[in-house]
Amino acid sequence: MGTSVQVTPLSGAYGESPLCYLLAVDGFRFLLDCGWSDLCDPSQLEPLAKVAPTIDAVLLSHPDMMHLGALPYAMKHLGLSAPVYATEPVFRLGLLTMYDHFLSRWQVSDFDLFTLDDVDSAFQNVVRLKYSQNHLLRDKGEGIVIAPHVAGHLLGGTVWKITKDGEDVIYAVDFNHRKETHLNGTVLTSFVRPAVLITDAYNALNNQGYKRKQDQNFVDALLKVLASGGSVLLPVDTAGRVLELLLILDEYWGQRNLKYPIHFLTNVSTSTIDFVKSFLEWMNDSISKEFEQNRDNPFLLKNVSLIINKEELEKLGDAPKVVLASMASLEVGFSHDIFVEMANDTKNLVLFTEKGQFGTLARMLQVDPPPKAVKVTVSKRIPLVGDELKAYEEEQERIKKEESLKASRIKEEELKASHGLNAKASDPMTIDGSSSRKSSNAGSHFGANVDILIDGFVPPSTSVAPMFPFFENTAEWDDFGEVINPDDYMMKQEEMDYSMMHGSGDGLDGKIDEGSARLLLDSTPSKVVSNEMTVQVRCSLAYMDFEGRSDGRSVKSVIAHVAPLKLVLVHGSAEATEHLKMHCAKNSDLHVYAPQVEETIDVTSDLCAYKVQLSEKLMSNIISKKLGEHEIAWLDAEVGKEDEKLILLPPSSPPPPHKSVLVGDLKLADFKQFLENKGWQVEFAGGALRCGEYITVRKIGDSIQKGGAGSQQLVIEGPLCEDYYKIRELLYSQFYLL
Amino acid sequence: MRARNGHPTRIIVGARPGQASLVALSSLPLSETSKQQGETGMASVAAASKRPATGGREGDQMVITPLGAGNEVGRSCVHMTFKGRTVLFDCGIHPAYSGMAALPYFDEIDPSTIDVLLVTHFHLDHAASLPYFPLLPGEGNVHRVAPTVLWHLCGSNLVCPDFPCHTAVCDTVNGANLAPDLQTTFKGKVFMTHATKAIYKLLLQDYVKVSKVSVDDMLYDEQDIIRSLDKIEVIDFHQTMEVNGIRFWCYTAGHVLGAAMFMVDIAGVRILYTGDYSREEDRHLRAAETPQFSPDICIIESTYGIQQHQPRVVREKRFTEVVHSTVAQGGRVLIPAFALGRAQELLLILDEYWSNHPELHKIPIYYASPLAKKCMAVYQTYINSMNDRIKNQYAQSNPFHFKHIESLNSIDNFHDVGPSVVMASPGGLQSGLSRQLFDKWCTDKKNSCVIPGYVVEGTLAKTIINEPREVTLANGLTAPLHMQVHYISFSAHADFPQTSTFLDELRPPNIILVHGEANEMSRLKQRLISQFDGTNTKVVSPKNCQSVEMYFSSEKMAKTIGRLAEQVPEASEPVNGLIVRKGFTYQIMAPEDLRVYTQLSTANIIQRIAVPYSGSFEVIRYRLKQIYESVESAPEECDVPALVVHERVTVRLDSESYVTLQWSSDPISDMVSDSVVAVILNISREGPKVVPVEEEAAKTKEETERVAQKVVYALMASLFGDVKVGEEGKFIISVDGIVAHLDGHSGDVECENATLRERIKTAFRRIQGAVRPIPLSAS
Repeated sequence: MGTSVQVTPLSGAYGESPLCYLLAVDGFRFLLDCGWSDLCDPSQLEPLAKVAPTIDAVLLSHPDMMHLGALPYAMKHLGLSAPVYATEPVFRLGLLTMYDHFLSRWQVSDFDLFTLDDVDSAFQNVVRLKYSQNHLLRDKGEGIVIAPHVAGHLLGGTVWKITKDGEDVIYAVDFNHRKETHLNGTVLTSFVRPAVLITDAYNALNNQGYKRKQDQNFVDALLKVLASGGSVLLPVDTAGRVLELLLILDEYWGQRNLKYPIHFLTNVSTSTIDFVKSFLEWMNDSISKEFEQNRDNPFLLKNVSLIINKEELEKLGDAPKVVLASMASLEVGFSHDIFVEMANDTKNLVLFTEKGQFGTLARMLQVDPPPKAVKVTVSKRIPLVGDELKAYEEEQERIKKEESLKASRIKEEELKASHGLNAKASDPMTIDGSSSRKSSNAGSHFGANVDILIDGFVPPSTSVAPMFPFFENTAEWDDFGEVINPDDYMMKQEEMDYSMMHGSGDGLDGKIDEGSARLLLDSTPSKVVSNEMTVQVRCSLAYMDFEGRSDGRSVKSVIAHVAPLKLVLVHGSAEATEHLKMHCAKNSDLHVYAPQVEETIDVTSDLCAYKVQLSEKLMSNIISKKLGEHEIAWLDAEVGKEDEKLILLPPSSPPPPHKSVLVGDLKLADFKQFLENKGWQVEFAGGALRCGEYITVRKIGDSIQKGGAGSQQLVIEGPLCEDYYKIRELLYSQFYLL
Repeated sequence: MRARNGHPTRIIVGARPGQASLVALSSLPLSETSKQQGETGMASVAAASKRPATGGREGDQMVITPLGAGNEVGRSCVHMTFKGRTVLFDCGIHPAYSGMAALPYFDEIDPSTIDVLLVTHFHLDHAASLPYFPLLPGEGNVHRVAPTVLWHLCGSNLVCPDFPCHTAVCDTVNGANLAPDLQTTFKGKVFMTHATKAIYKLLLQDYVKVSKVSVDDMLYDEQDIIRSLDKIEVIDFHQTMEVNGIRFWCYTAGHVLGAAMFMVDIAGVRILYTGDYSREEDRHLRAAETPQFSPDICIIESTYGIQQHQPRVVREKRFTEVVHSTVAQGGRVLIPAFALGRAQELLLILDEYWSNHPELHKIPIYYASPLAKKCMAVYQTYINSMNDRIKNQYAQSNPFHFKHIESLNSIDNFHDVGPSVVMASPGGLQSGLSRQLFDKWCTDKKNSCVIPGYVVEGTLAKTIINEPREVTLANGLTAPLHMQVHYISFSAHADFPQTSTFLDELRPPNIILVHGEANEMSRLKQRLISQFDGTNTKVVSPKNCQSVEMYFSSEKMAKTIGRLAEQVPEASEPVNGLIVRKGFTYQIMAPEDLRVYTQLSTANIIQRIAVPYSGSFEVIRYRLKQIYESVESAPEECDVPALVVHERVTVRLDSESYVTLQWSSDPISDMVSDSVVAVILNISREGPKVVPVEEEAAKTKEETERVAQKVVYALMASLFGDVKVGEEGKFIISVDGIVAHLDGHSGDVECENATLRERIKTAFRRIQGAVRPIPLSAS
């Protein structure tokens, strides 16, 4: 029997909630994506909380909130500790997305679900893979190979292929078959007949127009508003689809020499673009070719200014401009603030390029007709003043005292210990450094990032004595003189490394733009002030699909092409899921499943298989025919056993005649072309192909669906005449007879 | 006569099935016959690459032939063929030679059989014959005709690549007439990493520009390079690719940016080609990885033989000290280095050293290479191919944006007024800017020259390492050498400890040494042989064109799937089904399952043909029953009379004027239907006719008898000469006066001579056997 496979959605089934699925392959438990919506509601993660500690590996597919947003929280609070696998861009851009998200939240609330440290530590044990890299799992997952493949949609976006014993389980959500300005289309269609395909029904009901036309409509809409003196707000994600929009705009602005400023405003915009510039290997062929030939990096973005705080934007005043600001949901972040400012002016346009997440402001504005007014909460972090500041300081003081008391106690103990261990005491700064860091961390409002501020000597708050720490170096003597530590005399390899590393703040794994960092590290005590207000929505609102997902029609044809033995549908509205399920179920030998959240389905394949060795003698008698990349032949053999191994030998008695098999896939249109080239009069008439005067060739039965049961049925009919035999001969030539 | 030092002999490696081992069966000395052998050896290579992989021992033969870099450094090119698949590793030129002489021995192979060409890194000795070799056009581009021909001739007998002056012979050859059938028909795919491809283009364009050889001698021009780019596909580290059943992927090699080690897997046999590699992490590159699988064959570089490098820190310290002390004394430092690769490493070192030493800030550092300047964008972009240190630095600022280093376009812009540090190419001081500066500075003992890498035999840089008293300047004059010369190798090639541990971790059963000067290589070979003494590891170091043959008898395994596999069969049970091969994997399945498990599908063609007939259907039934054993009435649901012949063909009387035949196509049914059609046509043409069957049969018998009689007579006459026909079918045979009577029916012979009697009897029996039908029952 085949490999046992079970799928359990933890979120994102029969609905548009974030993606998170549990996949068990022979007992090895994969978490497929770990998404969270922009609302960051911990109650969404309840199903995940139940299973998080049992997970063996996490596979991430795209660098956005919906696919990896909950990772830091789950690592911190839910006991998720498995290694995480992702491509390099998913890792980097995912990290930046989380930074941006945190900063946006933190500016307007006392956000405490996770901190930047949690983000860093969550991403610390990400194993980074390349596309088509076959990664062998070890220990519990022995025999399982995972490989990321191009998914389109977002930079680094991944279709995961999980293989065990030659059976493939493919997890492909949010793929895009179309080649875009910066991405290649997915390679999903190159996988044929996997045991299980897990895919989404998100777009099953949507159909898109042509990309070029769409791009044109997009820039036209922008230009119209700009020309009439308005500004455009594009609420975007941090490092995903926005890259495509930036390229489209930058290129168009370049071609037309337009002067309207374009701003890309996120907390991490400059570092996002810096990293993206170094990810050319992951983009589409023409971009890498362009670089190889002319060293042109499209992400130099000559017409876009990257800004990381709103003040810069405000300096520009009301002049017409295009602003791409995160987040796409308008819940918090720059886009939210800018929306509040722009909504009141009829000249302005808010253009959504993706469908808003369920229950967010963006979604509210996307309904038809749009609401006349919306209630929003405007919050701001302001420094504390007066009594509040005093109270805060007192509180801090108290905490500090407690800490120092505790630390000094620890230190005393350490000192005692270190006196015992002389070797340790020879390096006194180590202890001081670490304890001072510890205490200042604890005392600071804001986690470990404070150590970036520590520049030069900081008097340790825990100093036992108000003087420079001095420790008597009691040297030991033996028969040869003073005992030396050989390490002191070793050439230090690390020295140089250290000097290079020095000054690069090691608190953050990735890079936060200086401005943001300043904001973040601003240790002045602050509080959040919010007030609710109603915003009149006078500006025009528009929605254009730049989500970069395959549309309904293509999803269906991709599924038909991939033709999995079992299909699991997730992530899509109930309507869309049912629609796609019905569509695919028409095909008789395809098993379609659409599990509910927390419903476990077993998609273990009922495939039977055994292995045999092919004897040299047998193989030398087989003449195979080449058919594309396959070679195929009829085999008559007899089983022999050789120390428990099955071996196929030539048959000892003449084999019984077999029914001959015609192999091939005939498309009537191709056959028509073929006959025409041979000089025949051919035309389609009533679904059949009329060849010459009397002969007709037609297909019967529903064999259009790939993977359909049985074989293709063709009928050739006509009166007894020479043409009949000629056409038949030509028809035969389209097949291989075995 | 072949005139070359790579004596084409071959090393034949036998093996036990299952496990390849390497035994040199014959390594023939250079003689007339050995050359002969060499020819046939190569012939067998060509043949092997065309043979289908289904064969026996031949299909399991792997042949590896260095076409360059065999017992030499330069023009790396290793040809490998196995199971009908051919892979070429690297495609370089020899930097010490020019023109055709610098090429690998391409004439030994048939380019059209190459499936995949893998280029490990951008250095000229690994990549520079790429535009020349595979990309020659199919038709009609005149200006390349000559090189094509020369290429063939230079390989066979006109040129000795080791003596470049002999290339002159080529110029006299008028190749135009020979051209058409000699043109390269390379159809394979070329792969290299992203960074390699980006630099490859710049580097080769530069190479074409600076090549001082005459125009006739140019191997290719800029257009060829551009054209070659379209053919090159990119592969990222660890990414697995498959072409024509050959699976391959690459590991970080550490040598230069984008350098890769290729692992190739053909039908489960793995070959690792290291290219140039280094196991030491430096400032910007990662150390070469250790593959997680042990290869069956490891083709490994041996540049440094058994030498051992100083620790990197020591080398860096020496380097910075030399530079610092020279400029402190007001001297100039010349660093001749190849524009790409180690140069970037040295720039990183210098930039950092200057940052840490403010007193040096007024002393300029130049890198005098427009090429390096152009390639800087590549270094600034492919950060992800570098080590973690660079990646972390990148998070702060791009380390390849140097703060203290300027680029210098030409010597004219260089104001040589005080102490300075100049890095200039070429590394061998053959010509160009580094030579100009050397000539200018070599007489002043305040100046220093730091040679930072491996220098090829025969270059000025190699000469001055030994610190001669005098040197010859570019203008031919001699000058005293006062300048201090320091050889501090930063060359990122593995040294012996690295090679040794690398091989120890990998434990490949077969090691093939390439890319090393002959002496170094043989020393390394000896050391490795003693290191792996007692294991069955074999080490060979083939010369150019010397083939290494190995046998890997792999068991072909197939997977039976689907309904055929519902039960695992017992011994001597038959298995009948389709066998489908894709790449090197086999599957056996029932025809019905074909479209379930593969992209292939089966079809069923139903034929329906109308035959004019206007008689009684009963007549058809009667006639068909006379011919076929099985003629049944069709199942009842038919509203018209119908017959089923042999359960294959259905005959229906559809109307007054015609019958239709329907059947599903296969060769036997087609035949049956054809005969049914013939029967029906006969009926309508001749009408019913009763034939006296018995009478005809009797007559036939009589006739046969008479014919038989005649044949017996003729044969007897031919055997015995004088034969007369007596009455009642008797023959009278007289031989040498002895008369014998033969009864033509019973076979009795009356004769006095026993010998003759027996002979006639035997003859008659044989004739009878031939003439008469075999009796139904053996009596």
